[in-house]
Amino acid sequence: MKRNLRLNGALAAAGLCLMTAGAIAQQSGPIKIAATLPLSGGAANFGQAARNGADMALAEVNGAGGVLSRQVMMDVQDNRCNPTEAVKVVTQMLSDGGYSALFDGLCSSVVLASMPVVDRAQIPYMVATASATAISEKSGVGGSKWTFKFNPTDASMAAAMVSWLTEKGLADKIAFLGEDTDFGRSGGDGFKAALKARGKALLSEDYYQQGTADFSATLTKYRTSRPGVVGIYALASDQQNIVNQMQAFGVKVPLSGRVQTDSIAKELLESGFLDGTSAVQPYSPEIDTPKNQAFVAAFKAKYGSAPNSISYSAYESMRTLLDAIQRAGSTEPEKIRTALTQAKFPTLLGGEVSFDEYNLAHTFAVIFQIEGGKAKVVGLSKT
Amino acid sequence: MDAEFALQLLVNGLTIGLIYALVASGLSLVFGILNIVNFAHGEFYMLGAMLAYFVAGTLGMSYWVTVVVVVLAAGAIGALLYDILLQRFEGSNVERGVLATLGLSMVLQNGAIFLFSTTPRLTRTEYSFKIWEFAGVTLPLTRLFAAVLSVIAFALTWWALQATQTGRAIRGVSQNREAALMVGIDPKRVSRIAVAAGIAFAGLAGAALAPVYSVHPTMGFAFVFKAFAIVIIGGLGNFQGAALAALLVGMVESFVGALASLVIADAITFATMLLVLLMRPEGLFGRGVRL
Repeated sequence: MKRNLRLNGALAAAGLCLMTAGAIAQQSGPIKIAATLPLSGGAANFGQAARNGADMALAEVNGAGGVLSRQVMMDVQDNRCNPTEAVKVVTQMLSDGGYSALFDGLCSSVVLASMPVVDRAQIPYMVATASATAISEKSGVGGSKWTFKFNPTDASMAAAMVSWLTEKGLADKIAFLGEDTDFGRSGGDGFKAALKARGKALLSEDYYQQGTADFSATLTKYRTSRPGVVGIYALASDQQNIVNQMQAFGVKVPLSGRVQTDSIAKELLESGFLDGTSAVQPYSPEIDTPKNQAFVAAFKAKYGSAPNSISYSAYESMRTLLDAIQRAGSTEPEKIRTALTQAKFPTLLGGEVSFDEYNLAHTFAVIFQIEGGKAKVVGLSKT
Repeated sequence: MDAEFALQLLVNGLTIGLIYALVASGLSLVFGILNIVNFAHGEFYMLGAMLAYFVAGTLGMSYWVTVVVVVLAAGAIGALLYDILLQRFEGSNVERGVLATLGLSMVLQNGAIFLFSTTPRLTRTEYSFKIWEFAGVTLPLTRLFAAVLSVIAFALTWWALQATQTGRAIRGVSQNREAALMVGIDPKRVSRIAVAAGIAFAGLAGAALAPVYSVHPTMGFAFVFKAFAIVIIGGLGNFQGAALAALLVGMVESFVGALASLVIADAITFATMLLVLLMRPEGLFGRGVRL
C-alpha cells in the first residue's frame, strides 16, 4: 500500500514537472502564428506575394529583438483558395494548439469559411488581404469578435471608384463582369450600391466561374450594348484572358474596378489598348511618403521587385498584429484581441490603423489610370 | 435579337464547340482504348500551350511551324506516357487509373507553377489581331484557325479509324481486347498509338488555343472539367459522340452566355451531364458505337 502511494506520488510529481516544463517552453520559445495562403492553384502568385510581405514584417521585428523578447515564427499551410481545404487546414492547425493568432487566407471565400472555426477556437484572426464586404459585416458587433480586417472592403473601394468615375463623367454606362466568388459578387454589390446612391444603375451584370476560358459570348453582348466602362473583378489570369479576347475581337472599352495594373502583360499595357482604364487598389508603391519609399526600397532589395497591394497589406497587417501582441504583454488570445481593438498603428501611407466596431481598419483606396501605356496614381482617399 | 447578333452567336458557338471537341476527343480516345479516365489530359493541353508560347513567342517560329512542333512533341510524350505509366493500369480497376492520372495532373500543374509561376502569358503570332469579317460577323483569325484545325484533325482521325489497318486495329482493341489479341493484333502497340494520338490532340488544342486564350499553369484544370462533361454527355469512349456533344455545349455557352450569363451556361452544361448520367448513362450518342 505504502509502495503504491509512493509510486503514485512520484508519477504525479513527474507529470507536474513535465506540465511546468511545457508551459515554460511555450512562454519562452518562439511565438507562433498560424497562416493559410493559396500556395498552389490559380491564386498561388497572390499567396506568395502575401507571404513575402508577412515574412518581411517578421524579419524586421525579429531582427529588432522580437515581440515580448521572443522571436516570432509563422507556420503557413496551403489553402488552394478553396474554402473546404481552408476549413480543414485551419481546424487542424488550431486544434494542434500553440498558436497565438491566425493570419489571413487571402481569398474572401476562404476567410468567410474560416471565421466560424476561429470563433470556436477563440483566437485572434487578422485578415490582411481579402476584400469581401461580408467579412467585416460579420465581424465585431456584426458577429465574430475575433476577426479583424485590415484591407478596405469591396463596398468602400467600389464607392471610391464610382465616385472618381462620376467625377470624370464615366459612370453612366457601366457593365460589370466578375468571377462567381465572394470577391466578385461583393464587387458587383459594391458597384450597384455606389451607383444607386447616385441614382444610377449597372448596364449589365455578368459572373463567370474562375478559370473560364472563353468570353466571346459576353464580348458579343458588349458589342451590341456598347458600355462606356466595364468594371471587372477577376484573378490576374482571368483578367488577362478577358483583355486578350477583347483585343482580338476589337472590343475597345476602358476597364475599371479591381483591375490589377501590375499583373497586365507589358506588351498589352504598352500597346495602348488599355488607355483610359482605371482601377482601385488599397496601395501603390508610387505613393510618396518617406516610410513607403523606405519600405519599397527594402522590399526591392529583398525580393527583387516592388511590392504589390497584397504584399503591402500582408506586411502592414502583420506589423499591426505583432504590435498588438507587444502591447498586450502576453500571448493570451483575449489580451491580444483587446489590444487589437485599441490599436493605433502608424501606416506607411500616413495616418493610423485603428479598428471600428466591425473590427474593420479604414485604410486607403488608391485610384489608378492607364494613359500612354502606363498606370499612374490619380487619386488617394481614406475609406 | 437581330439577325446579325444571332449569327455572331452561332459562329461563336460553332467555334467554341470545335475548340472543346479538340480537347474532349483526345480524352475520349484514351478512355475508349484503355478504359482509363485521364485526369491529366488538361495538363497536357496546358503543356502544349506552354510549349507553343516558347516556340512562337521566344523562338519566334511561325504559327504553323509551332502547331507542327507541338503536335509532334505531344505525340511523343503520349507514347512515353503509355510506356512509362498508363500500360501498368490497363485492365486494372478504374480507381487505380484515376488516382494515377490525378497524381500526374497535380505533379504537372504544380511543376509548371514552380518553373513558370502562375503569371499569365500572351502568345503573339503573325495572325494576332487579324480579323475575318463577313455579313457583320467578326471572327479573330486565330479562332478561325483553331476551329479549322479541329475539323481537319477530326476528319483525319475519322478517316484513319475507318480506312487504315491501324485504325481498324484500334477499333478492334477498343471493342474487345482479347478477341483482337486472338486475331493477331498487338494491343500494346495499338494502345500506344491511340494514347499518342489522344495526347497529340491535347497538344494540338494547346498550340491552337495559346494565341486565343492566355497561357498559365492552371489553364487546363477548368477546361478539362468541361471536357469531362462533354465526354459523358456524348458517351464515354465515343469519339464522334464527344465531338457532337462539344458542339452542343459550345452553342449553349454562346447563346446562354450572351442572353443570360456565363455562369448559367456552365450550370446548364453540368446539369445536362447529371441528367444524362441519371437517365442515359451510356451518353446521348451511346457507348455501343465507340471508336
